Amino acid sequence: MRGMILGAGKGTRVRPITASIPKPMIPILRRPLMESIILQLKKFGVDELIVNTSYLAPVLESYFRDGFQYGVELCYSYEGELQNGELVGKALGSGGGLKKVQDQSHFFDDTFVVVCGDAWFDLDFKEAIDFHRRSGGLATIITKTLPDDLLVRYGVVKTDDNGRVLAFQEKPPVGTAISNQVNTGIYIFEPEIFNYIPADKVSDIGGDLFPELARQRLPFYAKNFDFQWLDVGNITDIWQVTSDVLSGKITGYPIPGHEERPGIHIGINCVVDLDNIHISGPVVIGSGTRIEKGANLIGPLVIGQNCFIEAGATVKHSIIDDYTFLSGAASVEDRMLYNGYCIDHQGNHITLEEIGARWILQDVREAQVPSDISAQLMDLSGAVPFGDTREKRSS
Amino acid sequence: MEISTSQHAGNLVIHIHANRLDAASAMTFKQAVEAALPDKGAGIILDLAEVSFMDSSGLGAVVAVHKGLHGGQIKVVGLQQAVQELFRLTRMDRIFQCHGSVNEAIKA
Repeated sequence: MRGMILGAGKGTRVRPITASIPKPMIPILRRPLMESIILQLKKFGVDELIVNTSYLAPVLESYFRDGFQYGVELCYSYEGELQNGELVGKALGSGGGLKKVQDQSHFFDDTFVVVCGDAWFDLDFKEAIDFHRRSGGLATIITKTLPDDLLVRYGVVKTDDNGRVLAFQEKPPVGTAISNQVNTGIYIFEPEIFNYIPADKVSDIGGDLFPELARQRLPFYAKNFDFQWLDVGNITDIWQVTSDVLSGKITGYPIPGHEERPGIHIGINCVVDLDNIHISGPVVIGSGTRIEKGANLIGPLVIGQNCFIEAGATVKHSIIDDYTFLSGAASVEDRMLYNGYCIDHQGNHITLEEIGARWILQDVREAQVPSDISAQLMDLSGAVPFGDTREKRSS
Repeated sequence: MEISTSQHAGNLVIHIHANRLDAASAMTFKQAVEAALPDKGAGIILDLAEVSFMDSSGLGAVVAVHKGLHGGQIKVVGLQQAVQELFRLTRMDRIFQCHGSVNEAIKA
């Protein structure tokens, strides 16, 4: 079956993570969201996939290539143009992006699936497609019932007893939502849908197409399914989803490494002595990472690959990027260290350069920034490591 | 590096008039603050509202002043985002009481 992954979004609300990667590449436990999406679609035979790209398109396209590694065929539809040797994105919106593909090749010649590239889900597509075919509509919106306080972020639908959509409301202001049935950004369409999407024009599926179908009283349906759906719309979501996966609230999302002890996942080629660090799961330690005796690791915590954590350092409730060096004088709590940024779970951020913190937090591959006060700070703050690690290191 | 002092409800407040507290200014900072210090054992309020950047030397100088107080408390006030984050990442926010303003520090 054919499908499309919407991947052209800029992810403005996910900055600064999306300063260097497009939104579908937001990593959850080091795995880009879109990778999980492809694998889920492939499981149900949706294996010919178009991905529309725009913002940082080459980053996405060179990561996913032709999809061979996932057992699917991937093709990109770039939205923008090359100007003076530089790609300048001009995103067409979800509707405009779909229409562009269809106008080029009439690729969608039968029932097809469209999904947003910024969520993880374990939807049973067989069930969903069966429903769509039984109901016989132009479109089916896969929905979930969410609590009142979350409705402002989404599109909500009102249906009759058969699931036919009577009204569609995009991002309703607080207290005005017509229902609690939320659009998850997963759709099943018939090719006739293209009759209702304008050509060569920016348009949105949720903002333009659905309200138009509802206005014309065309047959389209929305159906609640019982599945896990993790929408990653902002920085807080990244942390929430990561800690929910690690704490077992969300099941089935792959956790990297092998579970050495309950809740402690460790990759290959690590140097860590679990009996001589203070560790409280759930913790993921990426491959190639070295952790000195006397470090304090408190989960939920994700440490990337090839990091080096010195004795005395504390890392708690955080996500640490690959190749991070943490001095013994460092205490990283409720932070995400990503690409030189220090980000709190609400999305406030500052670069390590601006903080002047390179002597306690830096890239392990850089020449180490010397510090004569680390030891003083460690003594002052009581970050005394187990045993005599510091003496050993300096000898 | 300029500093000035003021008294608030019996507390000595030392105001730092510099936007960087780094290797270039740490020694001057330390000497100037020590010259303004009261008797040993007393506490001070260090107003860093103008300081937007502090590196390890700057932090080291603040720690040295703290040690020179021999048990006297330093309350730091007015930390800008970068400096606050540095204090947090080095656990110094647990060694020094950090407050938004001089008034908050006095009330605390």
